[in-house]
Amino acid sequence: MDYKLKFSVNRQTVKLTIEPYLTLLEVLRDKLGLTGTKEGCGTGDCGACTVLVDGRPVCACLLLAAEAEGSEVTTVESLASNEKLHPLQEAFIAAGGLQCGFCTPGMLMSAVAFLTQNPEPGETDIRQALAGNLCRCTGYDKIVRAVQVAAREMAHD
Amino acid sequence: MTELRVVGQPLPRLDAKEKVQGQAVFAADVQLPGLLVGKFLTSPHAHAEILSIDTSAAEILPGVRAVITAADIPASAKYDAGSRFHAFLARRFVVFAGQPVAAVAADDLVTAESALELIRVDYRPLPVVRTPQEAIQPGCVAVALGEESFNSSAGSTPHTQVAAASQPEEAEAKGDESPNIANRVIFKYGDLAAAFAQSDVIVEQTYTVPVVHQGYIEPHAVTAHWDRPDHVTVWECVQGAFAARDLLAHTLGLSQSSITLNATEIGGGFGGKVEGIFAPIVVLLAKKARRPVKLVLTRREELVGSNPAPHSVIRLKSGARKDGRLTALEGEILVDAGAFPSGWIMNSMTVLLRNNYKFPAWRLEGLEVLTHKASIAAYRAPGGPNAAFAIECQLDEMARRLDLDPLQLRLQNLVEEGDSLTDLEPQVRVGGREVLNALAGHPAWTDPLPARYGDNGLLYGRGLALGSWEGGRGPASAIAILDGDGKFNIVLGTVDLSGSFTSLAQIAAEALGVSVEKIVIRKASPDYAPFAPMSAGSQTIFAMGAAVKEAALDLRAKLFRHAAKELQVSEDELGIDGEGIFVSSQPNQRRSFETLYQLGTEWFAEYGPLLGQGSAAQRQRAPGFAATIAEVAVDPATGQVRVTRLTTAQDVGRAINPLAVAGQLQGGSTQSVGIALWEEVMYDEQGRVCNPNLLDYRLPTAADLPLIETIIVEAPGGDGPYGAKLVGEPSIIPPVAAVANAVAAAIGARICDLPLTPERVWRVIAGRNNKV
Repeated sequence: MDYKLKFSVNRQTVKLTIEPYLTLLEVLRDKLGLTGTKEGCGTGDCGACTVLVDGRPVCACLLLAAEAEGSEVTTVESLASNEKLHPLQEAFIAAGGLQCGFCTPGMLMSAVAFLTQNPEPGETDIRQALAGNLCRCTGYDKIVRAVQVAAREMAHD
Repeated sequence: MTELRVVGQPLPRLDAKEKVQGQAVFAADVQLPGLLVGKFLTSPHAHAEILSIDTSAAEILPGVRAVITAADIPASAKYDAGSRFHAFLARRFVVFAGQPVAAVAADDLVTAESALELIRVDYRPLPVVRTPQEAIQPGCVAVALGEESFNSSAGSTPHTQVAAASQPEEAEAKGDESPNIANRVIFKYGDLAAAFAQSDVIVEQTYTVPVVHQGYIEPHAVTAHWDRPDHVTVWECVQGAFAARDLLAHTLGLSQSSITLNATEIGGGFGGKVEGIFAPIVVLLAKKARRPVKLVLTRREELVGSNPAPHSVIRLKSGARKDGRLTALEGEILVDAGAFPSGWIMNSMTVLLRNNYKFPAWRLEGLEVLTHKASIAAYRAPGGPNAAFAIECQLDEMARRLDLDPLQLRLQNLVEEGDSLTDLEPQVRVGGREVLNALAGHPAWTDPLPARYGDNGLLYGRGLALGSWEGGRGPASAIAILDGDGKFNIVLGTVDLSGSFTSLAQIAAEALGVSVEKIVIRKASPDYAPFAPMSAGSQTIFAMGAAVKEAALDLRAKLFRHAAKELQVSEDELGIDGEGIFVSSQPNQRRSFETLYQLGTEWFAEYGPLLGQGSAAQRQRAPGFAATIAEVAVDPATGQVRVTRLTTAQDVGRAINPLAVAGQLQGGSTQSVGIALWEEVMYDEQGRVCNPNLLDYRLPTAADLPLIETIIVEAPGGDGPYGAKLVGEPSIIPPVAAVANAVAAAIGARICDLPLTPERVWRVIAGRNNKV
């Protein structure tokens, strides 16, 4: 039996009919073409599929799309506005906080949610906040530094 | 030497903007009209005979478009029973749990998964060879599928043999030995017994490293579409487009020109995606379904059935004099290759054991054996961490027993230019001494450690290790083309695995004499690009960079030739800047790049289009050296090890892009810490992987690590572009041993089995305190 889903994705209302067993990740990637969100494990262990649901970071692979009914979902595609990158995106670029870039969308979404709650984080706080987002390329050093830079930048805004 | 303007600048990645916005197209992001979902069915048995496969129920399931088994492999494909590449679908026998036996293409994932459940495979289970120790017993069940296996390409194309730097001095064949010894090498020199007899100290230990996985976050993904008669287009995350195309051609009996191989963005490879071992399944599915098919592996499939790094058992015995002079090294190296041989990884591991230190006598015997596991492949400096864990722990133990400084002991015995390597070849100019010296005076080495048993009850220790790596050396080719907007297209067939396109753009800009903004890197498939080596063996800057530099210089020379004619001056009177070519004495006398483009492209043009080519032969050897200092804090109550400080120095010859180089050092160091402390693919009694997920196969997280200090050393050597040597791999070699040495220093005992889990560490501490 199909499910009629209504929710908000990147500030736009989306209505679509889906199979009820689809995950939020499958709907975002396969139905809405938002392939910026990545799948690295499908079991909530790697964090590559992290999106915000009502402002909270969630592994989109673990959430049935139907559970997002009425929610506001935010993906990496909406971070930049009008060609202007988010301070976290700018900081990741400048600091070398990405290499292959596969974990980057999820990493950014976790960092966005974290900095919203913790505008002046210490290094340990950042590391704890990002511990659910695996990165195999960078060794996390430049990611942590990028989040520190972005936090300072955002505090000035 | 003229001052460099672009080379040496720490520039952000050229592709960073699209990657932070989720716009980069990875293999799983490829979309085509009518795209089907591919899935494969795997063997639950590590060793079994397939008596029958019944796919009839799956075939009639609505939404299923194709079902294939080995029977669908074209007869024109030559079968090599000794090659993993040819085992993409099991024929009569399965030889590891997780080996694909059948595959389906269906309208959606649910239908594909349902179809797999309807396939009936009748297996006759056979005895499983689980461990290399079992495998080497005479009379053991043979793992290899056919006699031809050891005469074959040994499971890899010649291109993958990037690290096989040497020939064995002697290979003995023995009678009545196990059928599972796939490769044997012996390197020996000098009178070993006499050398040991002259030793004041002898250290003998056996070091084990488990199977570890490359751990790229992006699982293998492939899309195939038979888009024209007898022509297939493939999109795949692979490290080598040419190698991946060759693999398809060889395994499916196709000609290279019937395959367009698009290497997509790649979400990490580290050696595990060199040729792309799953693509043949997808190409066959697409052919049978007459529709495009996409296969994306699950993490479980990755950890169970891809191609991880080998389990090794290395017994080492080494001797030294009181004054620190090393005397003799004896070693037996046992490498578990899984079900198909690799050869060169074991060879590389064996050679590395003696390569860095001047033992005047040695005997190293390496065995590669087959077991019923997924076969091994490269993982960043293949075999390097295994070898370093053994020899660098030996050196550390030697220093402790002789009461000598571990760093000085290494400096004292370092193999340098002209000294013999393991294979008796003379070492070239290397930066080993520079790397060690960079650490010798560094606070990471000289700062006082917190006292063991600090106030918090933790045990502190510091450890050092050194590593070296040969890497790949090309050949490589590239084309440079002036475009209508005055920019320069660099057309190449290599894959950007580590930000290398940014560094290649810097090399092109430097050679041409323009800014990096003028360079556009055009990755092309083998349909359009001249030959490129795979992005492996750290050779992309070292070898591909040489080709790019040559292409850029060729184009620059032609620009000058055309401009000289146009401006009616000699070429040596000309200069180049960001806008064009000018007369040095009268800079307003100039031709812009746009004009020069027009002069070579418009109707009735006087000159040919401007195009430069680079076709670079193999580079000279330029081994990379790295050294690491690790500090750890060990909780004696739990055995938990925490790395509190990590410093890695590496000689890169010349850092084309220091930001990228530092990132490589940090990434490699972190993977190495993972091998030291957490990572292990575990197998049950039936030879099945029992931790195939990223919760139980534990990768390092952000919370596990300190900031990682990097020291970039630039020592001369080799003939890489602008002095660059290989960068990517050496940093994964020493940290594993540095951490092990730090733990040994902290707990006052040595653990020779990785990973150094809390249980292993706690047992040693508790055992000493008589608590167990």
